[in-house]
Amino acid sequence: MIRLHYVWIIVRKEFLEALRDRRTLFILIVLPILLYPMLVTLISRLQESQEAEQKAKASRVALWGELPADMRQRLEKDGKLVLSEWTGAPAALKQRLLTGAFAPPPKPAIDLEADDSQAHNPKEPDVEWTRVAQTVLLGRTVDVVLIPWNGFSAELDNGAAATASVLYDAVRPDSMKARERLTDALRLYRRDVLERRERTMGLKTGFTDALEIVPRNVAGESRRAGLMLGMILPYLLILMSASGGLYAAIDMTAGEKERGTMQTLLCAPIDSLEIIAGKFLAVWGISTMATLINLGSLAVTFTSIKMIPGVTMTVNPVSALLAFVLLMPVSMMVSALFVAVGAFAKDFKEGQAYLTPILMLLIFPLVATMLPGTELNAFLSFVPIMNSALLVRNVFLGDWHADMLFLTVISSLCYAMLTLVFAARVYERNTLLLGGKDSVASLLEFTRKPGDKPSAGVSLFIFAIVLVVTFYGTLALQKQGVATMIAVVEYGFFLLPALLFAQLKGYNLKETFSLRMPGWHGLIGSILIGLSAWTIAAGLFVRLFPPPESFTRALQKVVLMEDQPVPLGLLFLLISFSPALCEETLFRGLILSGFRRLGMWPAILVTAFLFGIAHASIYRLLPVMVLGVFLGYTVWKTRSIFAGMIVHLLNNALVVAMAKIKLFQAIIGLRGTEVYLPWSYIASGAVVAAIGVAFIATERDTGRPSAESARASV
Amino acid sequence: MTKPIVEARGLCRNFGPVCAAQDITFEVRAGEIVGLLGPNGAGKTTILRMLAGVLTPDVGQVLLNGNDVVADPIAAKRRIGFLSGDTQMYQRLTPRESLQYFGRLYGMDEARLRRRIDEMIARLEMSGFAGQTCGTLSSGQKQRANIARAFLHEPDLLILDEPTTALDVVSGHFIVQSIRAEKQAGRAVLLSTHVMSEAEYLCDRILLLHEGRLVEQGTLAELLDRSKCANLTDAFLKNAGIQTDREAL
Repeated sequence: MIRLHYVWIIVRKEFLEALRDRRTLFILIVLPILLYPMLVTLISRLQESQEAEQKAKASRVALWGELPADMRQRLEKDGKLVLSEWTGAPAALKQRLLTGAFAPPPKPAIDLEADDSQAHNPKEPDVEWTRVAQTVLLGRTVDVVLIPWNGFSAELDNGAAATASVLYDAVRPDSMKARERLTDALRLYRRDVLERRERTMGLKTGFTDALEIVPRNVAGESRRAGLMLGMILPYLLILMSASGGLYAAIDMTAGEKERGTMQTLLCAPIDSLEIIAGKFLAVWGISTMATLINLGSLAVTFTSIKMIPGVTMTVNPVSALLAFVLLMPVSMMVSALFVAVGAFAKDFKEGQAYLTPILMLLIFPLVATMLPGTELNAFLSFVPIMNSALLVRNVFLGDWHADMLFLTVISSLCYAMLTLVFAARVYERNTLLLGGKDSVASLLEFTRKPGDKPSAGVSLFIFAIVLVVTFYGTLALQKQGVATMIAVVEYGFFLLPALLFAQLKGYNLKETFSLRMPGWHGLIGSILIGLSAWTIAAGLFVRLFPPPESFTRALQKVVLMEDQPVPLGLLFLLISFSPALCEETLFRGLILSGFRRLGMWPAILVTAFLFGIAHASIYRLLPVMVLGVFLGYTVWKTRSIFAGMIVHLLNNALVVAMAKIKLFQAIIGLRGTEVYLPWSYIASGAVVAAIGVAFIATERDTGRPSAESARASV
Repeated sequence: MTKPIVEARGLCRNFGPVCAAQDITFEVRAGEIVGLLGPNGAGKTTILRMLAGVLTPDVGQVLLNGNDVVADPIAAKRRIGFLSGDTQMYQRLTPRESLQYFGRLYGMDEARLRRRIDEMIARLEMSGFAGQTCGTLSSGQKQRANIARAFLHEPDLLILDEPTTALDVVSGHFIVQSIRAEKQAGRAVLLSTHVMSEAEYLCDRILLLHEGRLVEQGTLAELLDRSKCANLTDAFLKNAGIQTDREAL
């Protein structure tokens, strides 16, 4: 059992030392406070000056053909377009263009998906005049090439459609600007021509337009600012928080080994788990400080300095707070990884070499979140780093959903738990901490100790692995139908790993899985709880925290097997028997057993919490947790997994019966379509459950040998 | 005769194919300094670490005041003070802060801790630098702070692994005197050293190690008598299988 007092002594010392380290202080305080205002001011000035320069500078247009005089006058009117005839066009090309040797390009077909700036965009220029134009534009002698095709003026005069090509280089901002100015001017000229034609023909104004499309962006400034902030902030915050903890982690691990103080620390009367806990908490604390300072500095900077001209990026304090909380599991995971990997390095230099690549690896998922079209979905909600970054983006955009937030937080906590378990394993290796060599592979070795019992670390490890596998397994099995999905998840992802792991580790199966028959009190108590727990777990909590209707419909769909004609027996087998067998084996068997050392209530509550999380929905968390507490209490007191299975089986069987069996509905007076369970049912259920709990509480402990029998056996 | 503070019984430890310690059995009593001598790689540090409870023996048992160190390492470590010659202090903490840190880790209450820190600072003449960060101290000053750290919690057993390594004569002498003072105070001391004169001067008994095995043990007189050597250096070399200058002549 970890002694928090000693962990706190280590945390305080590590903090004190880290905060006296200039490198840590620089990254933690100086860099964010100076860097962001400087960087943002620089970027905004640069953008402003570039924009001003572009505005002031006239665009150079190479005119490869002949324009009507009034059109040319119109283009050159405000001095922003300077036309030069045949600039860059070789004599041969000029000749061919003038004689009409080239056919004008066909009028582009209307493509609803097309982006105007990408119109007709072959891999490379495909005809002579485009190739020559490309060379001219690359030479930067002009910004855009305008080709009025042969007969341009005549077509206009005859009331037909004249064709002109505008050739530009999308990579050059000045070419893009020139294109924008030229096309705008041409559109204005076109409008004048149309009006003139309408007047001449005696047509109504707008006859030739027929339809005016007026697009309007309804994303307000705050939303546009949110998008920018959501893209920039997660990237910067995660990187800076990791950088903040980097030096501290190296100093506390490889640095201590290099100085020999690690040996001194190991000689002190403290457990290696207390050392890792202290060091991890110190690094995490420093990373969290880095997140806070960076967030504060960024918020002040973006609010006071306009990085993008015209867009005020005010950081909403609630969004900032939520982002900070959401990034905590990420910094937890990175800190644990730093402390674990840092222990493999023998000195500070090697520590840098080991940890810097981890920092670099963080960049890939972060950059992926900045790609257009990347949205947080169920699949990405379990991808570490990316999920939190995308969720933070959504928080700044103001369109996050509780369910996605829940999935992201639990998956991030899972990964953090896995890295913590890994770190704890590293610190169990004194040889490694004393400077000896040890490989990562040796840490993953499966050591079998017959008669052993699982630890809390094992429980967390198994849970985290099972949760991730179940989540992606469920997504992969979605097309197979609900029945197959439930069967595979229960037996393949819950029961099998629990039994296999316990067998491979050589655990005492009877103790780990509480393989005992309950006594009479336990049996009666578990039946009573099994029949009544749902009224509290579902009835009461649904009343207190009603889930959205879409969620209730989705759950009904699962219970009713998407309204497929499934035999009732199979329905009971899938919804009632299988979860009772498989979930109890995993949760009240292996996982609860690992937490036994924490004492009764902590073990029951932690297991119930994990049981709630495993149901992967924030709306089911509390009801399932409550059921988990009943189940945990039953198994703990009776020391019998079978008692837990009885409770679970009856609880789920009632759900099926209420949803599917008309006779049962009639007997209990419910139609199965009620929004809320009547209070009378909840009250009666609570009384029955209380009687059940009383029976369980008075169960005679048959599992443990009595003091007398123990003495007798000695 | 006083009862043993520490007993090593048949200790063995392998690192992969390398046998660092094999069947090591000895004991150290209260008020006794026992020297652990051997060439580099003889297994001294491994044995000291097993005794200090930071390495678990593959075979054998370490008993501290009759209690198994492996069974309850935390209780055992409270009664042990460990000092190594190559151990530095925390560079950004002062000696006083380092002592406070370790005192708390050793479970000392604040009043006793304050009293002991003041005592150690006075006894080891550290008042001039107790408030400076360790990164700014000389090697001798750092080692004094280290000694204070190892002696602070008044352990029953002191394990000293080459404590005078890389120290000048003055600092080395100071540390030797401090070790003698601890012996006078009734502590058991297990000392590993390469300095033969130090071992001759300090140790009541000497253990000679070679390739992980305990090849000889006894008082200085017994060792010299059995090895037919004039001094400890020659006895040491003889046990390490190296011809001495005298024999060569």
